[in-house]
Amino acid sequence: MTHAVKYHPGMMLMEQYVEGTLAPDVALAVATHIDLCPHCQRLCQDIHNDQASSLAADDAPVMADDFAALFSAITAEPQLEKPRKTQQRDAVTVNINGREFRVPRALSRLANQHGKWLQLGGVATAKLPAGDKMHVSLLYIDKGTEIPNHTHLGLEMTLVLSGTICDENGEYGAGDLLINTPADTHTPHTRADEDCLCLSVLSAPLKFNKGLTRLLNPLQQFFY
Amino acid sequence: MLDSTALTRHHELSGTATRMPERMTISAEPHIRSGQWEDSLNFVALNADKAAYAELFNYFAPRLKAFGMKMFGNEQQALEMVQDTMLNVWKKARLFDASRGCASTWIFTIARNVRFDMLRKKQSRKDDISADDLWADGDYPELEESSSDQWETMLLSEKLAPYFDALPIAQRLVMQKVYLEEKSHQEVAEELDIPLGTVKSRIRLALDRLREALDDTRS
Ligand SMILES: [Zn+2]
Repeated sequence: MTHAVKYHPGMMLMEQYVEGTLAPDVALAVATHIDLCPHCQRLCQDIHNDQASSLAADDAPVMADDFAALFSAITAEPQLEKPRKTQQRDAVTVNINGREFRVPRALSRLANQHGKWLQLGGVATAKLPAGDKMHVSLLYIDKGTEIPNHTHLGLEMTLVLSGTICDENGEYGAGDLLINTPADTHTPHTRADEDCLCLSVLSAPLKFNKGLTRLLNPLQQFFY
Repeated sequence: MLDSTALTRHHELSGTATRMPERMTISAEPHIRSGQWEDSLNFVALNADKAAYAELFNYFAPRLKAFGMKMFGNEQQALEMVQDTMLNVWKKARLFDASRGCASTWIFTIARNVRFDMLRKKQSRKDDISADDLWADGDYPELEESSSDQWETMLLSEKLAPYFDALPIAQRLVMQKVYLEEKSHQEVAEELDIPLGTVKSRIRLALDRLREALDDTRS
């Protein structure tokens, strides 16, 4: 990938993702970003090490339990054989508007089961089967298309999978994560010669101890 | 991931529990040294070594229980998480690859995934987002050793002092030892009884946080 990812999830989002305390739909957007971003792959590994070492610390709180029965039951179980080769998920592609896009690992299972494409002008969306309450979909925008100014009640997360989205604030390429709040108004559009595929997550309200803008790393300019 | 039939099965099995190996009754916890848990896992993987598994079990099961209590606030679910996690540690020991990370990280991720899927099952959703979707099982390409040096000069800034104090305590401790006491990463790992990889991770995380703080003061 030649495009350097510029817009990353902030530290707090990454920590909650690693802990497993993030809402699954938001976590899916973060996971997909990580698939596309070597910087966050490392950050993610670092947070795993940090949290795991805290869990395993010598002075971690421990509880006295009699686990003897559990120990015997477990060690009576057969062990799994090491697989010959680590199974790689097969590359999954989605087709829309005569184009074929390869989707990242985190989306491969869900993208295989996407719903019917609903098309309106140069925009098409297909829902991913991510549970009833989740609004997770693939969003396709044809080249040279402008999305009219719109507002949302909740949090809108858009992860660019392919192509570029431009708005008043800048340009977002593959791997970039945009987070928009109801307060944000912008008019995104694609380039004249390039269409765009995104993952779109319209999330239930979230509780965070910092402002929403902190969900994006403020250091984006610093990194690259 | 463990299926539900396996779960019921070892409830039944527990009735016919045999005595634990002698070593399990030692009450004093062994001192952790770097590499100990990786060695234990390898013995479990190679020989289904119950004594090695007992060491892992005695150390991690109570800690996982405490972690589960914190996350679920409910003893029954905490115990279910301990049971599923420790069963996976036993069953999947041959899948552990020390070159991809240390044993504690591996066990932590198993526990996290077990917990996530427990919550999902409770909501009885089959087509929902699963732990396998969210967390890659260490299948990213190896990253080259990153240089933290390029950020180190910012530590000279006096403005950083209050942010340094606000670092999570585990990260601050590592930073103190490396930058103020000028100890090597290896020395710090030994002193704190944490894997060398965790020392490096905590330094990078602390530098990231300080950068974030520095950026905040400018905007
Ligand atoms: Zn990133």
